[in-house]
Amino acid sequence: MLHTTHRTWWKTAIAMVLTAVMLFPVYWMVNVSLTRRESIRRGDLLPFDLTFGHYATVLSEQLPYLATSLVVGLGTVVLTLAISMPAAYAIAKLALPGGQGLSFVLIVAQMVPAVVMSLGFYSIYSSLGVLNTIPGLIVADSTIAVPFAVMLFTAFMRGIPRELVQAAQLDGASPWRTFRSVVVPISRNSVVTASLFAFLWSWSDFIFASTLNREGGDLRPITMGIYNYIGAQNQEWGPMMATAVVASVPTALLLIAAQRYVAAGVTAGAVKD
Amino acid sequence: MATKRRRNLAALGTVTLVGLALSACGAGGGAVPEATGDASEGTTTDEITFWDPYPQHTGGTPWDDLVTSCAPEGSTITRTAAPTADLMNQLTTAVREGNAPDVILLDNPAVPEAVSAGLVAAADQVGIDAAGIDENLLGPGVIDGEVYGIPFGSNALGLYYNADILDAAGIDPASITDWAALEDALAAVTEAGSEGITFSGIAGEEGVFQALPWFWGSGADLSDLGSADAVSTGQVMSDWIGDGYAPRSAATDNQSASWDLFLTGEYAFGENGSWFAAAAADSGFEVGVIPIPAKDGGVAPVPTGGEFLMAPVQSENASDHFANAAAVISCLTEGDKLLETNETLGYLAAKPDVRAEQVAANPLWEPWAPIVEGAEGRTTELGAEYVDVSARLSEALQVSLNAAGDTAQVETAFQDAGEG
Amino acid sequence: MSSSTLPARAPAGPRHPDPAVSPSDHPRRRRPSLSPRWAAAAFAAPLVLYLLLFYVYPLVQNFSMSLHEYDRATFVYGGAPFVGFDIYADILGQDRFRRIAVQTAVFTVVSLVVQYVAGLGLAVFFRRSFPLSSVLRAMFLVPWLLPVIVSGTTWQWMMNADNGVLNRFLGVFGADPVWWLNAENALMAVIIANIWLGIPFNLVILYSGLQNIPGELYEASALDGASTRQQFWRITLPLLRPVSMITLLLGLVYTLKVVDIIWIMTMGTGTSQTLATWSYSMAFGKGTSASIQYSEASAVGSVLLVVALAFGLLYLALQRKQED
Repeated sequence: MLHTTHRTWWKTAIAMVLTAVMLFPVYWMVNVSLTRRESIRRGDLLPFDLTFGHYATVLSEQLPYLATSLVVGLGTVVLTLAISMPAAYAIAKLALPGGQGLSFVLIVAQMVPAVVMSLGFYSIYSSLGVLNTIPGLIVADSTIAVPFAVMLFTAFMRGIPRELVQAAQLDGASPWRTFRSVVVPISRNSVVTASLFAFLWSWSDFIFASTLNREGGDLRPITMGIYNYIGAQNQEWGPMMATAVVASVPTALLLIAAQRYVAAGVTAGAVKD
Repeated sequence: MATKRRRNLAALGTVTLVGLALSACGAGGGAVPEATGDASEGTTTDEITFWDPYPQHTGGTPWDDLVTSCAPEGSTITRTAAPTADLMNQLTTAVREGNAPDVILLDNPAVPEAVSAGLVAAADQVGIDAAGIDENLLGPGVIDGEVYGIPFGSNALGLYYNADILDAAGIDPASITDWAALEDALAAVTEAGSEGITFSGIAGEEGVFQALPWFWGSGADLSDLGSADAVSTGQVMSDWIGDGYAPRSAATDNQSASWDLFLTGEYAFGENGSWFAAAAADSGFEVGVIPIPAKDGGVAPVPTGGEFLMAPVQSENASDHFANAAAVISCLTEGDKLLETNETLGYLAAKPDVRAEQVAANPLWEPWAPIVEGAEGRTTELGAEYVDVSARLSEALQVSLNAAGDTAQVETAFQDAGEG
Repeated sequence: MSSSTLPARAPAGPRHPDPAVSPSDHPRRRRPSLSPRWAAAAFAAPLVLYLLLFYVYPLVQNFSMSLHEYDRATFVYGGAPFVGFDIYADILGQDRFRRIAVQTAVFTVVSLVVQYVAGLGLAVFFRRSFPLSSVLRAMFLVPWLLPVIVSGTTWQWMMNADNGVLNRFLGVFGADPVWWLNAENALMAVIIANIWLGIPFNLVILYSGLQNIPGELYEASALDGASTRQQFWRITLPLLRPVSMITLLLGLVYTLKVVDIIWIMTMGTGTSQTLATWSYSMAFGKGTSASIQYSEASAVGSVLLVVALAFGLLYLALQRKQED
C-alpha cells in the first residue's frame, strides 16, 4: 500500500506541472486583476503595482449577477434533464420510430450558430412577452445542451442491459415507472456529466443573454455584468479580470465536487460487449 | 430497412413543414412599424425607455441619475445600455418587433444608415429642436436636408504627450505642427530610450476613426481612397510600426487598450480622445495635449465623435412615444441641463455659449475647444455610403499596419480600396 | 455501483426480440393499454416539440434569408426580393471564399487533432488515480469557466509582439519575438488559444470513456506480458472508438462554429478569418464588414450547416457499420 502511494507521487508532480502550464493564462488573469490600471499593460510577471481595488469594485457590484447566473444555470440543468432523458430512453430502449432520423437532426441542431438561434428566439419571445425574464433565458440556454444531452444519454442507455428493463416490465411496471425506478437511478453518472455540461454552457452564455435578457437589470447573468466595465471608448480590464476570477470560484468548487461523479457516463453503452 | 428509411424521411418532412408554418406566421410578430405619428398629438406615458451605449454608467451613477431625472411628471425612465457596436443591431431588431425604445442615443457614424433603413423618425415629427447647435457637429444628423437627431455634445481626438519624456529629449510640444516635426520628435524620443506613439488601428470603425485625422490631414478625400495622399496616410502609420515607434499591437488595440499603453508612462505620444482628458490629469506623470498636425502644417480636421439623440420609429401609439422622446431629449439638451449633460459625460457642448462656459470653468477643456470646432462629420459628405467606404479604408489600414513600412504593400492596399 | 460493472453482471441469455420491430408479439407481453410505439412517442414528444419550436424556426428563417436579398430596411419592413441561389453563387464564386474555406479547414483540423490527442493523453494519464489526481483533473476544467471575453483578451496580451510573456519565454531560448497577431500568424495564434479552450471538453469525455473499459482487460493483458504501449494500441484505442467518434464529431461541430475567441483576439483579420467569423461579421456589420449583409451571412451559415450535415451522415454510417 505504502509502496504504491510512493510510486505514484511522480505522477502527481507531472500532473502539477501540466496543470500549471494549462492554468498559466488563468494566473495571468489573476495577475492583471491585482494590478493598478497604470501598469496592466506593462506585462510584469507579478502584480508589482498591487491593488485590491478591482475586487472591492466587483464584490460591491457583481453579486446580483452571480446569483442570477447560478439560478439560470441550475434551471437549465433541470430543464435539460427533463427533456433529454425521456427522449433518450425512447430512442435507445423503446425503438422510437424515426429514432435514427431524430439522432441525425440532433447532430445538425448543434451546428446551428447561437447567433441564428438568438434572432429566431427574439421574434418568438417578443410575441410571447417573455423577453427579459429568467425562465425565458433558461429555455434559451437549454437549447445549447439538450441535443448534446440526448446524444449522451442515448449512448449510455443503449448499454443498459435489455433484460433489466424487461424484468421490470414483466413485473407489470408501466414504461414511465420502469423509466423512473430502473433507468434513471442507474444513469446517475451520465446525469452528472450532462448536468455539468448544461451548467457550464449556460454559465458562459453571452449571446442569448445579450439578445433576450438585455433589459433585465440585475436579473442578468454574470456574462452581462462584465459588460458594465465596457464603455463606448473605455474598458476597465482590472475589474473585468477580477469578475472572471470571482465568478470562477463557485463554479470551480462545483467542478471539484462533481468530479467525484464524472467517472462513468458518457458512452458507457457504446462500448459494446 | 426501406420502411425505416421512409419513416425517417417522414419524420424529417414533418419537422420541416411545421417549421415553415411557424416561420410564416412568426416573422414580424405584431404590428408593422410605421413612419407616422406626431409628438404634438401625443401625451407622455408612465413608462419611458432610453437606450444608450454606456454600459459603464450603471444604475445610480451620475449619468443614470441625470437621465432618470429628465422624466416628465408622472413618468419613470428605464435606461438600458449596450456596447456601441451592438446598439444599432439591437435597435434594428427592436424596431422590427415593435419593441423600440422611446429614445435612442446612437453613435454618429451609424445615423445615416439608421435613417436610410427607416429606423428613426424625423426631428420635426418628434418635436426635437436643433436650434443653436454647431453646424459641423449637427452634420451627421442631417440627411438630405432633413434633421433626424441632435448631439448634445462632441468629443474629439488629440495627441496626448508625456511631458516628462519630451522634456528629457528636449522637444517643445508646441513645435510639432506638421508630420515632419512629429517624425523628428519620434526619432528623438526613441533614441533617448523611450517608446514613440500609441494609437488604435483595430479593424472596423474605431480604427478608421483614429486614422481619419491623418487621412484628412494629408489632404486625402473619402471619395478617393486610392489617391497619393491617401497612400501617404497608410504609409506614415505603417512606418511608425516599421520604425519601432508604435507598438505592433496597434493593429489589434482599441482606443482603450492604446490608452492603457500610454498610461504605462513608456510612450511619448498617444493619439486618443477628449473623454480621457480628466483621467490624463490624474495619471502618474504630466500629460499635455496638442492638436493632431496636418501633413504640411496646421491642424488636421478630426472626425466628430459622440452620439445623437433620436426617436425610433414605432409600431403603435407613435405620437405618445414621440411625446416621451421630445420631453426627454429637450430636457437633456436645453437650458442648464446641457452643461450638466456634457460635464457628466466628459463631452464638449454642441452649443458654443455652453462650450465657452465649460472652457471658462475648467482649463482642461481649453486645448479641446478649437479641435471640436474644426471637426468634421464622418458621414456628412457620403451619407449612408460611408459605412462601405469605411470598411474598405479599414481593410487598407490593416494591410498597411501589417506591412510594417513596406511601401509596395501599402500602395497596393489603398489602390485596391480605391477601386472598391 | 459503477455502471461499468452492469454489463458484466447482467445475464447474457438469449436475446429477446425487440418489441417494436416485431409488433406481433407485443399483446402477449405488455399491458394492452399502451403500445410500445405510443410509449416511445410519448417519451420523445417533449424533445420533438422542443426541436420544432426552437430549432426549426430559426433554421428555416436562416435558409429563407439566404434566398432573399435582405438589407437593413427590408429586414425591418419586409419585402426583400427573392433571388433564389444567386447569393450562394456569388459567395461561392469569390476568391475570398476559397481562402477562408481553407483557413477554416486548417483551423478546424489542427484544433480538433491537437485537442483530441492532448485530451486523450491526459485522460490516459489520469486514468489510474494518484494523490491529488481528482483535484488536479478538476483544475483542468477551469479554462471553461472563464468568460471568453476575458480569456481571449488574456491570450491577446500574452501574445503581445513587443512585451508579451510568450515572446519573453521564447526569448529565454534565444528565439526571435513572434508577431503572433499579425495577418500572417493570426491563424496560428487563434488555433493555440482555441486548443487551450477545447482541451477540457475532450478530457472530460475521453476520461469517462476510459472509465468504462473494464480494468480486468488490462490486468489480463498485463499477465500476457503486454507492454503499456501495446495495451494502449490493443485495448484502449479500439474500445474507446465509439467515444472517440462522438468526441471528434462534436468537437468538429463546435470548432466549425467558433466565433468568440477569434473575434476577441483578432476580429477575424488576416489569416484568422473563418467561415463562422465571416458570417458573424456580415450578420452584424462588425469588423471590416461595416455594412450589414444578412443574406450573405445566412448563406455562409448554410454552407457550414451542409458541412456539418455531411460529417453527421458520415458519423451515422460509421456507427451503423460498427453495430453490424
